[in-house]
Amino acid sequence: MAQLGETVDGFGRPDAARGARGGERTKARWEPRLVLTYGLLTFFLLLAIGPFVIIVLAALKTGEEIGRNVFGLPEVWRWGNLADAWTQGQFARYFRSSVIVAVPVVVVSCFLSILTGYAFGRMRFPGSRLLFFLLLLGIMVPGEAVVIPLYHNLRRMDLLDTYWAMILPDIAFSVSFGTLWMRGFFSQVPPELVDAATVDGSNSWQTLWRILLPNAQPAILTMAVLFFVWTWNDFLLPLVVITDENLRTLPLGLAFFQGRFTSDLPLTAAGATIVALPTILVYAVLQRHFIRGLTSGAVK
Amino acid sequence: MRVTRARAPGLGYRPGERPWTALLYVLPGFVIYALFVLLPIGQTVRYSFFDWDGFSTPEFTGFDNYVTLFRDEVFRLALRNNLVLLVFYTLFPIALALLLTALLTRRRIRGLGFYRAGLFVPQVMSMVVVGVVWRWIYNPTFGPLNQGLRAVGLDGWARPWLGDFRFALPAVGMIGTWVGYGFAMVLFIAGVQRIDEDLYDAAKLDGAGSWQQFRAVTLPGLRNEVTIALVTTLIAALRTFDLVYVTTRGGPANRTRVVALEIYNNAFGISRVGYAAAIAVVLTLVVLVVSYAVITLRMRTAEG
Amino acid sequence: MSHRTRRLPSLSRRDVLRGAGAIGAAAAAGGLPRAGRRTAAQGEVTLKVWDSYARDAESGVIDTLNEEFQASHPGVSIERVARRFDDLKATARLALSSDDGPDVCQINQGLSDMGVMVAGGILTDLTPYATRYGWNQKLSAGVIARNSFTPDGANLGEGSLFGMPVTAEFVGVYYNKEKLAALGAELPATFADLEALLKGFQEAGEVPIAFGNAEGWPAIHTYGEIQNLYVDRTYIDNFIYGRGGASFATPENERAAAKLREWTEAGYFSPDFSGIDYDTSWPPFADGQAATLITGSWISGELYGRGVEDRFGFFLTPPEMAGTPKLSVAGTSMGYAIRNGSPNADLGAEYIDSMVSARAAELWAEAETVHIGVDPTKAEPGTLYADMVAAWTRLNETDTVGHYLDWATPTFYDTLTASLQELLGMAVEPAQFVEQVEADYAAYLAEKGA
Repeated sequence: MAQLGETVDGFGRPDAARGARGGERTKARWEPRLVLTYGLLTFFLLLAIGPFVIIVLAALKTGEEIGRNVFGLPEVWRWGNLADAWTQGQFARYFRSSVIVAVPVVVVSCFLSILTGYAFGRMRFPGSRLLFFLLLLGIMVPGEAVVIPLYHNLRRMDLLDTYWAMILPDIAFSVSFGTLWMRGFFSQVPPELVDAATVDGSNSWQTLWRILLPNAQPAILTMAVLFFVWTWNDFLLPLVVITDENLRTLPLGLAFFQGRFTSDLPLTAAGATIVALPTILVYAVLQRHFIRGLTSGAVK
Repeated sequence: MRVTRARAPGLGYRPGERPWTALLYVLPGFVIYALFVLLPIGQTVRYSFFDWDGFSTPEFTGFDNYVTLFRDEVFRLALRNNLVLLVFYTLFPIALALLLTALLTRRRIRGLGFYRAGLFVPQVMSMVVVGVVWRWIYNPTFGPLNQGLRAVGLDGWARPWLGDFRFALPAVGMIGTWVGYGFAMVLFIAGVQRIDEDLYDAAKLDGAGSWQQFRAVTLPGLRNEVTIALVTTLIAALRTFDLVYVTTRGGPANRTRVVALEIYNNAFGISRVGYAAAIAVVLTLVVLVVSYAVITLRMRTAEG
Repeated sequence: MSHRTRRLPSLSRRDVLRGAGAIGAAAAAGGLPRAGRRTAAQGEVTLKVWDSYARDAESGVIDTLNEEFQASHPGVSIERVARRFDDLKATARLALSSDDGPDVCQINQGLSDMGVMVAGGILTDLTPYATRYGWNQKLSAGVIARNSFTPDGANLGEGSLFGMPVTAEFVGVYYNKEKLAALGAELPATFADLEALLKGFQEAGEVPIAFGNAEGWPAIHTYGEIQNLYVDRTYIDNFIYGRGGASFATPENERAAAKLREWTEAGYFSPDFSGIDYDTSWPPFADGQAATLITGSWISGELYGRGVEDRFGFFLTPPEMAGTPKLSVAGTSMGYAIRNGSPNADLGAEYIDSMVSARAAELWAEAETVHIGVDPTKAEPGTLYADMVAAWTRLNETDTVGHYLDWATPTFYDTLTASLQELLGMAVEPAQFVEQVEADYAAYLAEKGA
């Protein structure tokens, strides 16, 4: 499994790496294959985003109008639907919970993963193989495998229905992948860099923060983005450990909202739009990191 | 790896620090991981040997839960449904993406970043949002799919997708295909552009046609990417929960019941915790074996 | 969480350390703080209530009652969660197992829900409260039995009271008066009349029965209404309470299955019903796009809220022979239960009592929904509500309040919904259907006996 994370990290590179080769050929004219390429890409692009586009449009129409006109633009843009969903669906609350859970999970998981990844990537110590293997289990094992005892343990610890019940397990799962990821990064750092620091008299802690981390920003950002999507979109864990309406996260809120307002299509569509929007925004800004992370063989 | 007297070069610690410093780095992360992942894995295995309702004193019953499991028709059905979903989640997206990769030009594509970003959108979205969107699309009376079919005169094709015995599972599966194909395409397009163009030139010199070039150069060149796509989508198919919970909750008549739903229902719905744990153990084993198989297979093809 | 970590991570060393420091400090200061858990200020009490009155009209009644309860109980605020039936069903057990779970929660009676929870010890015995508030006078012995379990949760119908229902529930036929008049037909006196009527509607180009069975439970009611033509009180009581070695594989049940199947084949139900949710199945009837709707009394308020006031009527599914008594799928709403260990149990009981008060009955009547404390004299003749009240009165007078079949065993809801979907989807024959369901029931009886 270890190879997976390492060999494929680097999706960001191809454009640069291939630039010279591709560049000389862009002079070529529009040949059939190029037309086909753009045609297919456009078709599948529309297919991928089409459903989201029509649901956003549906969120701005009346139910009756959706019946007549699914695909077109709204006759009147009913932004009020979003406001209705926001208040009726209590999405402000859910949004708050999602943020309260996601931020610490991302921050703490990144911090811990940097430490563990550093140790596994740059140090040798007894038991490292065993510990690393155990950490890798967390990448492969599905959440379903642990959720039952997790629920009962959290209950015994009196942590059900607290943000901790989502934060702690999410960190644990994230650290597992993060270790692999950061180990991959640290083990590729040229030895000279570290040696120079050591000669300067830096201890391992100083080397990590002064020398290694400034170069690690892209790797860390990608990891952070992965932790964010996983935590933000998590469903099973919050479904099980959270019953308090005040603590529910967005996906949970939406699932029950749609149950309650099945027959009110614009309202359901508005709810879905509200939940989708933050992800879309973060994605728009950090798109590269999303793609690099999710295509790295990271599974959760 | 080079071996030197005192220490290997490039290791991040000074001689005086090791090896306990290393453990200090590992400890915080590992402790939280052990508490919330490792320990529960062990507990799940333990639970699976007990008859327990989650409240009263557990009763040790050995392999009884497993025996029941393999006789349980609903479980077998769920497992089979997961295997069918595998075709939709894994095979279809990868086959489609490979086909497209073969058709697309290998040259630099202008605006690739734009396409890539768009194709990838379903992958970042919460499955609940995806489920809500598709539940509406599939709605028999006002869903866009049936409306569209009727609009073009294909009334006979319109059906209650998620309520139809034959079509419910494929309909859920198609959502998986839809989520996955952009992901596979992005992977493969990037992969192809990393393949050395000289290999294609050499193949052409040998008189290879497009198909042979694809088989001889592209496919082996994408070995890593295909492995990643396989492992990711296989695991997604085997453990799918959110999507089914939101769209069909296993219906109609268990036609879309999946293993993860059985775990949830038994553990948290009808208080058969030990039995649910046994299902979880089986699911975990299947996931591990399948992932392991894919990765070994890749390594073997890499050698051979 | 510390407010310092609220923004998205910029991963400088300082921030990362600061975030970790906050957690470390929090952990050091008296264990893990219970983030997100609100500690009530002195004298302030929050009562958490979960119910299934999620549709507009019924939800409005509960909201009004809650406001009035809060007004008369200073310092108490009610935190309400309304969820549709199967969402509540799917999450109630988990919620009530939590120390922060709802204080009061509506629960489906029967072994699959209330039974499992009683067995798990997560519900409070309501008997003392029933005595204190005189609930026993408000409910008939039969209704009390439906909300009672032995302490091990294994036997429904005896033992202590664990749930307090609020509204009356009974399944019957809603019809569109204009469409009936257009057909020149009269209200059916026999089941054969009803079938003739449905056929008439179909020939007139109407959808005879608005129906949606995506969740599976609506078919339990339709099937039950037909089943009740052929079975009697003793059988159905024994079956539900698991007494006297009852069986599901009987000629009567098979006959009912065949009849339901016949209706499906005849095309009496909404097209594509297998993919339509319950809550999208009745609005077309309310909008005049179907002639009848066979469902429970819980929907009358919604129809009233949507339709022209006297557009709809209601009658109980007629018997085979005119004038003879016939059981109806009926009972009461899900029972309001109190979580065992709730610090606000007494307040919760007081809340439940307000739900069955005279004021509550009045508000439910305004919403045209039959409350257990209904005053039959207050229904305005000619309205849908008057039909509803008349039907409920008759059911009680003739002792024909039937049962919900899904209560029978812990897994019966799942088995029955799935089997009915298969029956309606032509995947099993009526004979197989009863065998399949019986397998579940027999396994339960065997386990219970063992």
